[in-house]
Amino acid sequence: MSSDGGFKGDLLKAIPSLRAFGMSLSQNADKADDLVQETLVKAWDKQSSFQPGTNLKAWLFTILRNEFYSQMRKRGREVQDSDGIMTGRLAVHPAQHGMLDLKDFRAALETLPEDQREAIILIGASGFSYEEAAEICGCAVGTIKSRVNRARTKLQEILNISGEADFGPDAIASQVMGSSAA
Amino acid sequence: MSTLMKDIPGGRGFKPKREGSADILGANSEIGRKLKEYYNDLVSTDVPDRFADLLSRLEQTEKADQPSDKKD
Repeated sequence: MSSDGGFKGDLLKAIPSLRAFGMSLSQNADKADDLVQETLVKAWDKQSSFQPGTNLKAWLFTILRNEFYSQMRKRGREVQDSDGIMTGRLAVHPAQHGMLDLKDFRAALETLPEDQREAIILIGASGFSYEEAAEICGCAVGTIKSRVNRARTKLQEILNISGEADFGPDAIASQVMGSSAA
Repeated sequence: MSTLMKDIPGGRGFKPKREGSADILGANSEIGRKLKEYYNDLVSTDVPDRFADLLSRLEQTEKADQPSDKKD
C-alpha cells in the first residue's frame, strides 16, 4: 500500500473516505473539511507512532473521530445521548421498497445520536469490521453491535420500512392503496 | 440409524450464525443499500486542493526541520 507516494501518498488516498466520515459525523461540509485538515496534521505529526502494516484507514478514522468529539466538547455542546431528541420532528412519507429518497435518508440519519450514527456508518458504509469499529470508537464489540442495531431499528421506524425483506401481501396492498394518495 | 457423516465440525447440527456487516446491512437491506448510496455519494465528491497543498507543506516543513530547527 505504501509504495509510490509513501506516507503522504497513503494519506492522500485516504482523504475521500475521511471526508465522508467527517461529513457523516458533523453533518456539515465545512466542519468536515476542518476535521480532515486537523486529522492530516495530527497524522503527520504522529507518523512515527503508526505501525506500518496495520490498518492506516482505521488509524486515521480514530484520529478524526477523537478530533470531532474534542471539538464538540470545546464548543460546549453536549454529546447527544442515545435517545435522539429530534426523531419525532421528522416527517417522512412512507417509503415504498426501493423508492426511498436519498434526501429522506440523509435527514433520518441526521436524527440519530452520534454514537449510533458513527457505528452504522463504520459498519454499513465504510467497510470496517465490528472489531475495527470497536477499536476506532474505543468501546467493546458488543457495544458497536447494539448501536448498529438500534440505529437500524430507528432508521426503519423513521423511514417506515417495516420488517425488511418482508414482501408479504400487506406490503403490496399498501403500495397499491397508497399510490393515489398525495 | 444413519451414519452419514457430514463435514460439519463440532456436530452442532446447524451452522453458526454468520456475523458481520453483510448480515443486517447487506444487499437485501434497504437501509444497508441506502447507507452505501449515501456514503458513496460523499466519497465521490471532489477533494479540494487545499489538502494536497497542506500535505506538501507538512512535507517541506519536515525536510526543513531535519538539519536543525530552522524554518523559512
